[in-house]
Amino acid sequence: MPTFTYMTRCDGCGECVDICPSDIMHIDPVYRRSYNVEPNFCWECYSCVKACPQHAIDVRGFADFAPLGHSVRVLREEKMGTISWKIRYRDGRVKEFTFPIRTTPWGSIKPPSDYAAPDANALGSQMLAHEPTALGVEMLPTLPVLDKKEV
Amino acid sequence: MFTTNPFLPLSEFVSPAVMQGYVVLMALAVAVGTAFDLLHDRKFEFFLRDRKRRKAAAQRQLGGADMAAIAAKTLAHDVATFGEFCNRQRRISHVLMFYGFVLYLLTTIALIFVYPADTSTPAVLPLLWNLGALMTLLGGYWFFFLLRVNVVHDGQPPWRLVRADLFIVTLLASVSFALLFELAAMAGNPAATGLCAGLYILFTTALFVSVPWSKFAHMFYKPVVAFQRRVEEADGSSDLPSPTGGERCPPSHT
Repeated sequence: MPTFTYMTRCDGCGECVDICPSDIMHIDPVYRRSYNVEPNFCWECYSCVKACPQHAIDVRGFADFAPLGHSVRVLREEKMGTISWKIRYRDGRVKEFTFPIRTTPWGSIKPPSDYAAPDANALGSQMLAHEPTALGVEMLPTLPVLDKKEV
Repeated sequence: MFTTNPFLPLSEFVSPAVMQGYVVLMALAVAVGTAFDLLHDRKFEFFLRDRKRRKAAAQRQLGGADMAAIAAKTLAHDVATFGEFCNRQRRISHVLMFYGFVLYLLTTIALIFVYPADTSTPAVLPLLWNLGALMTLLGGYWFFFLLRVNVVHDGQPPWRLVRADLFIVTLLASVSFALLFELAAMAGNPAATGLCAGLYILFTTALFVSVPWSKFAHMFYKPVVAFQRRVEEADGSSDLPSPTGGERCPPSHT
């Protein structure tokens, strides 16, 4: 269910172009509004939908949960830490869902550099059950032993 | 300096009646161009269809007083201060461009219709004309080089022009040559004055005649859409989930 832009709501700020991980949100050269240049290649991550300050980007819902004629809209409220979805069915029924953006406080996630370096011996751990047999390989890959200087 | 009627040197080339007729023609071009744009691009049909959809989905009926309050709020926030923009820099540049252009336009009309070849023009009018032109150029060049979305976000070079640039390019060229024309006339250089006057007329004509192909009409559409959004929020026909009290705009980094 790829995204598309309502031209009248879009003000061409470019937030969706910046955030789109597959680089398919572009700026229309005639109207200077955003549009999805490759709907077939849309990852459906909805980053653009959530980032759009004008709520100008809509989602086409899958037919199994929202039949033709529906609309799916998203409201991201960063201060409240919530993302709300509103689905309006073609018969007029409306369903709304609100989810937390995250479950841990802002800034509480440690960056990768704060974690200890992985131990090569962990590859022999009992936690990796049935390997390498289950994988159909002779042996598991191992990390090269580095000199302390190189580390 | 900058207190004399900038159109006095132009009256050496054309009569005041021709200048007045030209202004009327340009106003007509904007009206006809916007009407053509509304019908040809089916924008009018879209607004009507959306209005019908909104009425069917409305949960509350709004009275005349409600509509008037929404219109006042739209004018005060979305139109007067460009509150619809979430990006602060785009907002300030548009405020400069819009008020500068309106000031420039109104003083141009006053100078051409009231004091067409009058050497005793009140100094305040040319001063306001220059102020309007400078505001338009400041906001316009800022937008053109630093804020244009296909340059900033799509990574296109600033000199690559597309149809969406028709409005900003003709606007900047028209106002720039208006000021250059005034400066050339003040310097007493007849050749430069004639050249700048010709380019000023050329780009001004292009600005107003190109309405069906340019973004000129967005000045009229955006307030309508802003009003429509506020009405949708008020009568419950909006497709957006109910806001839970947060800010409409995400925190701006600019």
